Amino acid sequence: MIARNFPLLTIMILLICSFIMPIVKEAKTFKKLSIISMGASVVLNISTLIYIKYDGSFFYRVGHWDAPWGIELHIGMIEIIIGILFTLVASLVIWYSFYSVDTEIPKEKIRFYYLLINILIASLLGIVYSNDLFNSFVFIEVSTLASCGIVVIKDKKENIKATLKYLILSILGSGLFLMGIAFIYSITGNLNMTFIHNELAEIYIKYQNTILISLALFTVGLGVKSAMFPLHIWLPDAHSNAPSTSSALLSALVLKAFVFMLIKILLRVFSLEIVIQYRVLDLLLILGSIGMIFGSVLAIMQKNIKRVIAYSSVAQMGYIFYGIGLGNSLGLTISIFHIISHALTKSTLFLAVGSMMEQTGKNLSDLKGIGKEMPVTLGIFTIGAFSMVGIPILPGFISKWYFALATIDASKLIYLGVILLSSLLNAVYYFPIIINGYFGEENLKGKVFMSKNKPVKELLPVLILTVGIILVGIFNKGIINAINKSLI
Amino acid sequence: MRGISILFPLFFPIITSLAFGTIKFKSKRARNIYLTSTIIINFLFVINVSMTNASIDFHLFKVNDFLDIYFKIDKIGILFSLLASCLWIFTTFYSIEYMSHERKEKRFFIFFILTLGITVGIAFSGNLFTLYIFYELLTLATFPLVIHAGSREALESGKKYLVYSFTGATFVLLGMILLFSISNNMTFIEYGVLTDLNSINQNLILVIYMILFLGFGVKAALVPFHSWLPSAMVAPTPVSSLLHAVAVVKSGIFAIIRITYFIFGSDVINKVQGDFYISFLVITTILLGSLLALHQENLKKRLAYSTVSQLGYILLGLVMINDNALTGGLLHLVNHAVIKIILFFCVGAIYFMTGKKTISEIKGIGKQMPITMGCFSIAAISLIGIPPTNGFVSKWYLAIGGLRADRVLFSVILLLSALLTAAYILPIVITAFFQGEKVAKEDHIEPPLRMLIPIILLTGIVIALGLFPNFVLNFIESITDSIV
Repeated sequence: MIARNFPLLTIMILLICSFIMPIVKEAKTFKKLSIISMGASVVLNISTLIYIKYDGSFFYRVGHWDAPWGIELHIGMIEIIIGILFTLVASLVIWYSFYSVDTEIPKEKIRFYYLLINILIASLLGIVYSNDLFNSFVFIEVSTLASCGIVVIKDKKENIKATLKYLILSILGSGLFLMGIAFIYSITGNLNMTFIHNELAEIYIKYQNTILISLALFTVGLGVKSAMFPLHIWLPDAHSNAPSTSSALLSALVLKAFVFMLIKILLRVFSLEIVIQYRVLDLLLILGSIGMIFGSVLAIMQKNIKRVIAYSSVAQMGYIFYGIGLGNSLGLTISIFHIISHALTKSTLFLAVGSMMEQTGKNLSDLKGIGKEMPVTLGIFTIGAFSMVGIPILPGFISKWYFALATIDASKLIYLGVILLSSLLNAVYYFPIIINGYFGEENLKGKVFMSKNKPVKELLPVLILTVGIILVGIFNKGIINAINKSLI
Repeated sequence: MRGISILFPLFFPIITSLAFGTIKFKSKRARNIYLTSTIIINFLFVINVSMTNASIDFHLFKVNDFLDIYFKIDKIGILFSLLASCLWIFTTFYSIEYMSHERKEKRFFIFFILTLGITVGIAFSGNLFTLYIFYELLTLATFPLVIHAGSREALESGKKYLVYSFTGATFVLLGMILLFSISNNMTFIEYGVLTDLNSINQNLILVIYMILFLGFGVKAALVPFHSWLPSAMVAPTPVSSLLHAVAVVKSGIFAIIRITYFIFGSDVINKVQGDFYISFLVITTILLGSLLALHQENLKKRLAYSTVSQLGYILLGLVMINDNALTGGLLHLVNHAVIKIILFFCVGAIYFMTGKKTISEIKGIGKQMPITMGCFSIAAISLIGIPPTNGFVSKWYLAIGGLRADRVLFSVILLLSALLTAAYILPIVITAFFQGEKVAKEDHIEPPLRMLIPIILLTGIVIALGLFPNFVLNFIESITDSIV
């Protein structure tokens, strides 16, 4: 029974630790505080997972107030898997950051960096767990500010510019989300998702336009925040200018929380039967497909390595929207699976690239011959890239395979071409990095073997992430079944 | 766990190649012993597996309905794996000598042995998905061999190779997904997995077959997807000979055999007329390959285009869907492998001894290297299809197959292409022997024995298979009987 309290407890632990950090003087102590609180959240989440496995999903009343007056958390299999994913990736990123933070962030800001990460992860968990629309909105606002914080922390001119862009668009997204809540509240009189859902089932025929408007507002609002294709313009700047640990968090986790929120709204607030009657899903399908192609095309045109990976995120988010847009349960399941696989892969890629950039430069041309100097790091990058391209057994392949099957299920055969074209395009921008890194006479000239390699302890967190990628690929069946069961 | 013996010939080279990367050898001699014993032991493993008459299969791991790594031994797999591992032995001896002049030998041999394991993996794959994985791995493992020189030109060719291969693999993936959605089964079974034909849209089957054929056709150098093969000739000669005349392109062919006869089945292909549409492409491949070979100045490029054309022969044998033609196709798969490897070895030997690469440079080379060029001539004769060489036997069967299938046109094309073959291969022999100055016996520059002996032995095989084809022929006929 006590495990029911754990989800709330994780959020509280993270928040309280972040509030303590400013008081602590020693730099060592707040770093410890940060990793310990994050590690504790992982453990708590895993024990909740075990609880849910035996006792099923549950609603948790915050402060023992019954819904609709009190706030509820809904913890199911999917939520807890994503919770574990978020805390696990965050702890590994924090661990990695201990070795890189001094070079990337001004000394006096480091304290705030860890504070912001804790707040960010707490608010993301809040978005994932909450069963209350307005409560989610609050968490969304908190996460927006925190994620802007971890971008601007470098305190350089371009960071501030990128952050302003991010902040303005992000707040626009939250604003749209809030308006969506307002519309839905005006016809149902509720903020709790379960209650809205029940109410809508009865009245949706009367208020078709209102529902369409609020559905559109939610989709576009969250679309801005999770980089749906034409609304992605803030992402490359923000992700490429941020410190690489921040980029890893932003790309791997922050985007995913919002898209997961969208899935929750579509499924749990409106229910798929209602959503299918509007063209919103088609919009998602088309924008997702365009994102899959153009995200990659734009990535090919980039010179800066981090921008390449940032644009690749746009393409990968396209897959997730695409899966939602298919409108069948397999599509949704695979979208959630892709959230997991992409979160692991993208954080690995950003961290690997971050450590390569520390040694060389930020342009693609600087990375030539890096495979001789940093073979292990580029090896890790290679595995991540292979997953993106879709080499079998790695999770990227599994997602693509099931996306294709879901497409056939939805009898939209023409979209198969989009999936395959996009995976080919992925190869076009990832392979040259690897090839120029490992091979080529001119590239390798004057490079000394292992000269820039990092010590094992610094690479360990990234290695663990890489192992995670492979494990997700191998155990895909269990994960997909768990998601699918919990979805219905 | 008898099935586990399948894994030895597969993983032994993979493990030894990785070990090769870490071991520091005291002397070159120790390294050479390591290399040759690896290849020979692996050959014995393959023989051991093929000796067991009962069918062996082994699930390495099964994650999903489709994600099932599954190995199975059948006769055609044995044929392909024996061919590959046997030719690998010759190539190893040859390349130990040849590569001593190139740099980065270590990297070369790591990927060289690795590729053997992967090729055997392709041979023993028990379902389409496993085949697909090894097919992708083959691309990745051979890529470093193609760009071995590391020059800008090599990198460009390597890029082309990757782009073509991955585009092909993407087609394969598309075909596989569609296939899986209608059949839910991708295991290789004789006469195919599509049992309930009536419930499935026949056009869809045709489309899937075409997609898979074109996808695998990229590696099999089907026109218009052939142009990576001539570009990949920048690789060192052992690589070109083994990979681009035998392992890689033949893997493409082998995969096409698998999908045609083991996934769809000959009846289904006949019914949906898959063979009809494909044969146009195949005929273009045969003629265009020969025509393009005519005006290549670079020896290796000329041989590469010749490969394109000869692979067309094999494909023609496959798509005629009758047992004579298939026998001819499979026989030519074996024969062409042996012939082409000799031709490449000879060209490599010329380059190794004299540094000459083009036809105009090799005037009179036959007088300096009579044994090498003699072997080259025998192989050339066999390539054209003149008795008593093995090329004649396979072309005979192909022509009979064409007549049996009531397609006289095919037989005519075979003859026409034989003429073209003569037109592009004989000038090399003529230039080598009948032009240039006379050379005294002391000035002969035959290559070192480690290169010369494989060439001579292989030439012996060419003639032996021409005179006594029954040994291979009976085996191949027992394959074709069970699948057509």
